[in-house]
Amino acid sequence: MMLFLSLLAMLNSSGPKVKIENAWVRPANKGMNSALYFNLNNVTSKADALYKVTSKIAELVQIHSTVKNDDGTMGMKEIRQIAVPANSIIKFEPGGYHIMLINLKRKLKTNSKIEFTFYFKTGGKVKIKAVVKKE
Amino acid sequence: MLKIKLFINNFALNSKRINCKVFYFPALLIIILLNLNGCGKDLPENRPAGIESVNLLNQDSTVVKFPDAFKGNILLLTFIYTNCPDICPMTTHNMQLIQEQLKKVDITNVRFAELSFDPLRDTPYILKEFGDIRNIDYHNFTFLTGDAQVIKRILNKMNILAIPGDTSKTESGKIVYFYTHTDRITLIDKGGNIRNEYRGSKTDIQQIINDIKTLGD
Repeated sequence: MMLFLSLLAMLNSSGPKVKIENAWVRPANKGMNSALYFNLNNVTSKADALYKVTSKIAELVQIHSTVKNDDGTMGMKEIRQIAVPANSIIKFEPGGYHIMLINLKRKLKTNSKIEFTFYFKTGGKVKIKAVVKKE
Repeated sequence: MLKIKLFINNFALNSKRINCKVFYFPALLIIILLNLNGCGKDLPENRPAGIESVNLLNQDSTVVKFPDAFKGNILLLTFIYTNCPDICPMTTHNMQLIQEQLKKVDITNVRFAELSFDPLRDTPYILKEFGDIRNIDYHNFTFLTGDAQVIKRILNKMNILAIPGDTSKTESGKIVYFYTHTDRITLIDKGGNIRNEYRGSKTDIQQIINDIKTLGD
């Protein structure tokens, strides 16, 4: 049964996946926070959802959205998952969706590359490298 | 024939006098008005910032008398915290872009200040690191921190909201909290009057530069 489920999972994750494009991270110092930005490009005909991102670079990695409140103040909220409809692009950009990198384990120097693993409900795992750069 | 020539010459002279009165004076008036605009009369606000004189620390731990140290110069002031991953770095980046643009057009009477509303975590050392990793040119750009109560009074005076959210602790014991806060850059003239306010993170840089030019020397 376990073997069957594993095979099923492999089949699930071997098909076309959501592409993660133009990934970049803002420079920051060790112990501080930063954010990862990118485009989620779902070139498939199936809807998917991003529910987790991991990386060794930070103690905590969370999906966040920056929100503007009625009084004009800006804040953030954690998001459990983000739907990626079929044939759509979801932008993670400054002032909007971003991956929060909390308590960085080392300094993020410009032009260095950081590894991340994205987890999708349907597409499974996707590994990427994001470049550290300024806005 | 001589009479005709004299008539034409007189007419020309009179015409010049008439032109001078009818056209040159209004033109002069327009120029005067434009000059007045050049002094910043048409900016949307003109009210004293009214910040009491206090001692703050800059990124080098040097005491800065605020806002006195900036009087006599135009000041672009914003409020940030360095643990902010998204909005505050965007605002700082915009301040930096404005600084670069002004340098290109040789406007030298502007100072940039970013005051932390999270003084417990934003020590001068942390502010310096935050600036250094962004290659901030400190010659007219200052990060400020200080006593929490003093900063609270400045925030109140400037109508800046900075509300800390829930606090959590990571496995390593680091305390994590974020602020919901006002997103603003304030333009203050050399007399200490607020002249305009802009959104900090997503702003029209050219408008700010134009307003600075309008304020003139």
